[in-house]
Parts: sequence; structure tokens; C-alpha cells
Amino acid sequence: MRILVADDEHLSRRLLERTLERAGYEVMAVENGRLAVEQLNRPDGPRLALLDWVMPELDGPGVCRAVRRQQEQREQSYVYIVLLTSKESKEDIVTGLESGADDYLTKPFDVDELKARLRTGERILHLEGRLVEAREMMRFKATHDALTSIWNRGVIVDLLGRELARSQRESGCTIVLLGDIDHFKSINDTHGHLVGDEVLKEIARRLLLSIRSYDFVGRYGGEEFLMVLNNCNPQSVEARAEEFRKVVNSQPIQTAIGTVQVSMSLGVLLSSDWGVRPVEELLYEVDAALYAAKAAGRNCVRMAKPSADVRLAIKETVQRLR
Amino acid sequence: MDKAHSVSQASRVNLPELLSRVDNDRELLLDLLTIFKEEFPRLLQTLHDAVALQDMKQTSVVSHTLKGMLLNMAIPRAATAAALLERLAQEETKTSVPEAFAAFEMEVQGLLPEMESCMGEVAR
Repeated sequence: MRILVADDEHLSRRLLERTLERAGYEVMAVENGRLAVEQLNRPDGPRLALLDWVMPELDGPGVCRAVRRQQEQREQSYVYIVLLTSKESKEDIVTGLESGADDYLTKPFDVDELKARLRTGERILHLEGRLVEAREMMRFKATHDALTSIWNRGVIVDLLGRELARSQRESGCTIVLLGDIDHFKSINDTHGHLVGDEVLKEIARRLLLSIRSYDFVGRYGGEEFLMVLNNCNPQSVEARAEEFRKVVNSQPIQTAIGTVQVSMSLGVLLSSDWGVRPVEELLYEVDAALYAAKAAGRNCVRMAKPSADVRLAIKETVQRLR
Repeated sequence: MDKAHSVSQASRVNLPELLSRVDNDRELLLDLLTIFKEEFPRLLQTLHDAVALQDMKQTSVVSHTLKGMLLNMAIPRAATAAALLERLAQEETKTSVPEAFAAFEMEVQGLLPEMESCMGEVAR
């Protein structure tokens, strides 16, 4: 484990450095508080620190305060800090702990006590690591679809809302695509739900590979997928929709029972065609376009186009805003 | 004065204690003794100048550093003298500081040759 030692006194620094190296730590030694903060605030910085109290530029309690402040602001991993001091009064100890230190040790230190206190720190850091891991797992589960691991419905709709607001603000254009696997019920009925799950996973994977890093794809319903493509050229809408249709249909899907040929119908809309509309209304319109694609024989794309009345209303609004 | 000197001499460099502190790591102890030998005279001179100039902040900082070094080298009486100097400087008791410095100087008199002989023993 890496540990930062901050002490302005050369002799003490050397003693700590060697003692800790012998105890199996990877030691990084600095000679003042400012350098200690620089190292500890790095995302990949040491998570265990042994700080002298009295140091030039910034003292030990000052380092503790700076590190804790940064942790709160940036949600960084916890740093376990032990203050090393020749101060022994209760007031000093309280000051040190109040500044954010986890423990303190008086100089000259006893090697066994130092090691034992650092082991306590390691236990706490290990526990913190497990808690962070559990929190991240819960966060992932709350935001991702359990089967396909792409965004779940709640998140993809939320992301759509944000992107629509952004493209309106920046007078940009967002492409919204809603795709539905054709005859998915018959895949489940014929081959079983496990094969159906394999198909869903593979389609999610293909769609994910087809978007740019700043676009989004989520599972909207059972066999429905919602794609949100940001900052697009309106001329490219049909070509992009076709790409998604082809990526599903061009190669059969390998499953446990062999290959399954799958196709997808898609509804698509361009946010710039619709003016300022609530997310729910746009989802209704793209859903209607999807059903138009189903009605047209499936495995095709249909655009959601506003009616003449809607187009006129949008035009008037735009003129008013100018 | 001779009596005081002999008392301080008796409580200085305690090699078995030092070796135990570094877990019998002779190489490390040699490193520490070398650092001490190099840094101590410079710090002592800085302290001397700070006391002469009645610079209480500098006196406090340097005596704190010396106290730490002396504690690490298991020289408790000299460390106590440095601690007293540090406290007086922090309290800005300017009149008592020169006297405390003189006491400290007496405690550390002859310390460097003692360190050198200690280095010889460690290196053997």
C-alpha cells in the first residue's frame, strides 16, 4: 500500500521512510504541507498519510482541512490521515482531530505502535473501498437494465429530456429513435425466453456499438430500445436510422439453439421539426411513427412529421422569438 | 559547570536505545547519524542568530526542529532544553530566552564528537 510521509525535518523523514518501507509500504516522502496536499488531492494519490504537525508553508492540520475540503467537493476516495506530533496537550489533540485527522501519534514514535495504527487505517480504507464498491453497484443497478446493461427506461427518458433542452438552448438538433424487435413474441414462443434474452442482449450490444460516445441508448420497454443522438445534422437522419435497422438485421444472432434472424422497425423524429414540446409528447409522436413502420410491413423506418397545423404554429413561434 | 556537563554527558547518545528504535538496522542508523552530523551545526547556528536578534518566531521554529531531531536520536535532556526554548519563544518571554539557549548549548556541547564515535561503533 502507498503511504505519504510529510515532514520538513530530514532526519525524521528518513527514519519514517525506511521504517515504513521495511513494514511493506510504498513510501512517498515530501518536505512540506503544500506538496502533501498536491499529492493527496491527486485522483491516484496515496490513501494513507502520515503528517508532521509543524511544517513550513502549510502545517499538518492545514493539510487535513485542505484534503477533506477537496474530498467533499469531488467525491474522492477517503484519505486516512495520522498526525505525528510532539504536542501532547488535550487542546492540541482536539485541534488536530477537528481539522480532519483520523489519528495522532506522539514523537518519538514507537515502531510497533506506528505499524498498529497504520494497520487500523488500512482496515478502515479497506472497509471504505467495499462500501464504495457496493454503492457503485447499487448506482449501476438503479440506472441500468439488468438484462442488457444499457440505460434503463427512467434514465434514458431523463437523458432525452436533458438533450432536448440542450439542443433547444443551442439551436441544435437531436435525433430520437424508437426501435422495436419484429415478432419478438414468436422468438420467445418458439425458442424459449432464454433465447429471447440472448437476442435482447445482442441487439443492445449492437446498438451500443453503433452510437457515438456522447449518444445514448436505453431499453425503453420489453423489446423496445430508445436511442438519443445529440447534436446531429438533420440531413443525416434517415441514413442514421437505416444504419440502426441494418445493424440489427444484417447478421443473424448466435444463440444457444443456433442462429436467429431478427429485424427491427424504427420510428424516428428530429427535435428541430417539433419546436418546444414536452418529452412525453415527442415520445408519443415517435411511438406513432414506430407503429407506422410496423403497419408498413416491419423491418423499416418511418419519420414522425408534424402536421401542417403544427408546422405553422412552430413557424409563428420562431418568428415571434426573433 | 563541570558537574552540569558531566550530568548531561551521562544521558546522551544511548546506542542500544537507538538501535532498538531502528530495529537494529545499522545502515539506517548510519544514515541518521550522518544527517544529524550535517544538519545539527547549521541549525544550531541559525538558532544562535535568531536568539541574538530576538527573533522569537524563528527561535521557536528552529528549536522545535532541533527538539524533534534530538528526540529521534534518543537524547532526551537536550530535547527537553530545546522544548523549553521553544515554549519561551512562543510565549515571547524574551528575557528568559538567552538563558534557556545557554542551557541548551551546554546540553549539546561535545555532542558531535560523541556522534562520530557512535558512527564508528555502528559501522564496525
